[in-house]
Amino acid sequence: MELGAYSFGDTQLNPDGSLRSTAEAVKNLFDAIVHADSTGLDYFAVGEHHTLEMPASSPGAMIAAAAGATKQIRLGSGVSVISTDDPVRIFQQFATADAVSGGRVEITAGRGSSVESYPLFGYNLRDYEQLFEEKLELLMRVNEHEQVTWSGTTRAALKDLTVVPRPVNGSLPLWVGTGGSAPSSVRAGRLGLPISYGILGGAPHRFSALSDLYRRTAQQAGHTGPNIKVSVAALGLVAPTKDEALERFYPGWRNMHTQMGKLRGWPAPDDNAYLAQAHAPGAYYVGDPDDVAQRIVQLHGHMGHVRHFLQMDIGGLPQEHFLESLELLATEVKPRVERLLAIEG
Amino acid sequence: MMMHTTNSALMELGVYSFGDTQRNADGTLRSTTEAIANLHEAIVLADTVGLEYFGVGEHHTLDMPASSPGAQIAAAAGATTDIRLGSSVTVLSTDDPVRVFQQFATADAISGGRVEITAGRGSSVESYPLFGYELSDYDQLYAEKLDLLMTVNSSERTTWFGTVRAGIDDRVIVPRPVKGSLPIWLGTGGSAPSSVRAGRLGLPVSYGIIGGIPSRFGRLADLYRATAQQSGHRGPDIKVSAGTFGLVAPSKQEAVERFYPGWRNLQLLMTERRHWPNPDRARYEEQTHAPFAYYVGDPDDVAGRVVDLYRHLGHMRHFFQMDIGGLPHEHFLEAITLLGTEVRPRVQKLLRSK
Repeated sequence: MELGAYSFGDTQLNPDGSLRSTAEAVKNLFDAIVHADSTGLDYFAVGEHHTLEMPASSPGAMIAAAAGATKQIRLGSGVSVISTDDPVRIFQQFATADAVSGGRVEITAGRGSSVESYPLFGYNLRDYEQLFEEKLELLMRVNEHEQVTWSGTTRAALKDLTVVPRPVNGSLPLWVGTGGSAPSSVRAGRLGLPISYGILGGAPHRFSALSDLYRRTAQQAGHTGPNIKVSVAALGLVAPTKDEALERFYPGWRNMHTQMGKLRGWPAPDDNAYLAQAHAPGAYYVGDPDDVAQRIVQLHGHMGHVRHFLQMDIGGLPQEHFLESLELLATEVKPRVERLLAIEG
Repeated sequence: MMMHTTNSALMELGVYSFGDTQRNADGTLRSTTEAIANLHEAIVLADTVGLEYFGVGEHHTLDMPASSPGAQIAAAAGATTDIRLGSSVTVLSTDDPVRVFQQFATADAISGGRVEITAGRGSSVESYPLFGYELSDYDQLYAEKLDLLMTVNSSERTTWFGTVRAGIDDRVIVPRPVKGSLPIWLGTGGSAPSSVRAGRLGLPVSYGIIGGIPSRFGRLADLYRATAQQSGHRGPDIKVSAGTFGLVAPSKQEAVERFYPGWRNLQLLMTERRHWPNPDRARYEEQTHAPFAYYVGDPDDVAGRVVDLYRHLGHMRHFFQMDIGGLPHEHFLEAITLLGTEVRPRVQKLLRSK
């Protein structure tokens, strides 16, 4: 089981609650990835948002920066919002990072959990389905072939054009990222792509119905082998004790909920719901190393996932808590997970 | 003429590259992956030996695979400590200025404020079909996109409307640069209209001088400065840099021999792609001596010619494209080291003695 983290580049808060600089947020994220690598985590992903609170707007540039400053960790996007970007440019950025990293770079293509990129880049939400469908197809094409021919309705056609640079291992691992819809599971299975579930609430083990659907579809479509696999992204934070983890994660969780409440009409943050989610069978992997390790392994019993990675830095979580959590995940949670899986094995 | 000074040096020295793919013994191209990794290694070395600047240009070919200056510069930002990093050039006409800005601002944050953008039209046109643009819109694309890039760079919230891209109605564009905004240069092969444009906009100008007699660019630089002054622009942003071919080796003879095969390969490619004349060794050798444009030589020769050009151009930065047409990577690295350790002190000494 690979363990890791993902982040949108969370902006720190001043004592009065106002936002600190986005440049600092980006530098903090870079430092966190370097720290994750040096402590031995397997994976780090950068998501794309376009807000003062979450300023990691260019996963490609962030991953490239990390590629030049890390040794072992695998690097990816969580997710690249391909619907509102150009798959050729995305591929070029990630392939550049891949070359610099010696072949450690992946892409997770998704629709994203927010829609602020649509007006920014001149796309219409009416085209939501068509954009994703076509751009995923183009990204797969560009990833497999040095000379690309493609035509569709959402982008100019390519007629036998060279797309460089090429990845170290011939192509980049390309995942489909989804918040957990059945159609996305079917799509990934049909295309034979690995799937990454973002599980942001509820009872994670219920996602096993989706991962079963994914695996069944893949098999029916004739896709077998190492590319048919599942990863899980979830909220979480590791601290020396469960109480500390709960205390540390709460203010940022509350900030994010309040923000999302305004943006998306979420209900007001509810302390009881927070606590329920932070304990089995809830979705927040907030706890001490034993607690987090056990719950990851429990989920593995349902999902059979190969990678579990946590979004820790939300709503202004202090950077030092983020760094400590990454280190605990690598040095304390990881050996426990491996031991528990070996026993289960 | 005004003396142009910077904090640390009277003249910044550096390198630019398009990520040149190495060749096998039979002349076939090696992998583009290796080319990108080589380029990264070269930038890290340039930082180590004390060069002030490295620019990455954008092309989309198997022999020049640096297609994403933003990603390459970001990678370098995380692996260097002092060197300034930029594009040479970002082909702005066929990209989205918002995305370009976001990539460079990300790199800037990681570098601690060492990142610049040089916007240009590019010397080749392969990006037009690749990204679905029409060459008939060449001028309009560039003018509008430069305007948008400057708008995005100057404030956190952007409102902009034009014809070549969707309008932006009061939207946040993040992350923001460490020093408030990124230095934006205008890159040009040396046209009078581009010099006037840069002067009128109050942007620093970067001349790509890839042939002929560099001192003749003095007239363009004068035109640029006069236009800037007439437009009310003065101060540290009104400055000139020069990008030229060049290679440093222990002796002039070695430099001339090392640079020639790659120069010939590039020339042959350009003969095929752009109908340049066939490569001619005699003409090549002539170009490697004053007053011509190839800064190929030993440290004394290159330093002397950089300072000669300074008398005409008053430029504050001179950077060299060294790795062309399959120049062996070890020669590239040695030239970078010599530029930092041998040419640089000579240039500073010559400038101080003037």
